[in-house]
Amino acid sequence: MSDFQDTNDPLARATQLLRQHTDAGWTVMSANILARALRAFRPSNPVRGRHDHGDFFIASDVLVARVREAVDAVPQAAATKITCTTNQRRELDRVTIQIVAAYGAHLVTLGEHLHAATVATLTDLLGDLAPDRAEVHTHVHVGDVSDDPRDVLR
Amino acid sequence: MPRPTDPPAARPAVPGPAQPPDEVLTRRAALGDKEAFAAIVGRHGPALYRYAYRLLDDPSGIEDVLQDTCLDAWRGLPRFRGDSSLRTWLFTLTRHRVHTLRPRFSPSASRPHVDIDDAVNQVPAPHADPAQHNIDSSLLQALDAALRLLPVRQRSAWILKEIEDLSYAEIATVLAVTADSVRGLLERARASLAHSMKEWR
Repeated sequence: MSDFQDTNDPLARATQLLRQHTDAGWTVMSANILARALRAFRPSNPVRGRHDHGDFFIASDVLVARVREAVDAVPQAAATKITCTTNQRRELDRVTIQIVAAYGAHLVTLGEHLHAATVATLTDLLGDLAPDRAEVHTHVHVGDVSDDPRDVLR
Repeated sequence: MPRPTDPPAARPAVPGPAQPPDEVLTRRAALGDKEAFAAIVGRHGPALYRYAYRLLDDPSGIEDVLQDTCLDAWRGLPRFRGDSSLRTWLFTLTRHRVHTLRPRFSPSASRPHVDIDDAVNQVPAPHADPAQHNIDSSLLQALDAALRLLPVRQRSAWILKEIEDLSYAEIATVLAVTADSVRGLLERARASLAHSMKEWR
């Protein structure tokens, strides 16, 4: 960065002002811009679900978002990555959830809570085509350590 | 490394101690958390506006640029790998959108399409009575006018460095040039701006 010690220098002064400046235009349009962006769909593959009246499809993006909500609702855990794959019939084949856990959390117990929350959410979303509880496996692997409590706090 | 005497650069983007860092917001937004995305837009939006507004020769396109940038960000977050910082990525998306909107007036497309006389006239007269004007507002106006006289890549590099405090490497990523090119662009931009603004002394 340039040396802007000389506040009598008009360029230095103007630069300082611009750094602190929030254009009024942004204040006016930001809410609309955000709302329109959030209404947009993300490109997403369909996942087949089944209820009493037949089959239906749900966007994998929606499925991931709902599973994230369920995972993040479990204390001391937050999802870092969720991927799902489907088979040729577009039925859910695999969901992989990576989480960050608070230091000191009992990981096996946490895994059980996450397991239950995930199965419940998938059952809610996909009905009869949700995987059985026994088909959802939990693997505990410590991949990284963070000392930032904001990683798992809402 | 900034010297202790340097004034702080624009930092609305730095989260407070209780606010989630960009990495956490990015992760959540990628997984469909709309609140996290709103926090990202709230944190970085003012800087993106500041940048895009000054890159556009016709600021009437600013809303389209930022709308498309936000859409690109929302749709692209699931694939964002974190090779650069979120902030650098957002500036890159913004620059691409500005570039898409900017008409190509010349083969090089590097010179700003502005009426030079208009731009020069916007630099307030050095002998105007300061008491009659809001000095700060006039100074900002003068800087904006001087910036519009710069070729767009110089303008872009100068704003990202001096206003947004990006590193040379980050600016190089945003502009898709080498760090050495960034140094050259900045050198020329600083010289031109100093010349344009010296009347204000």
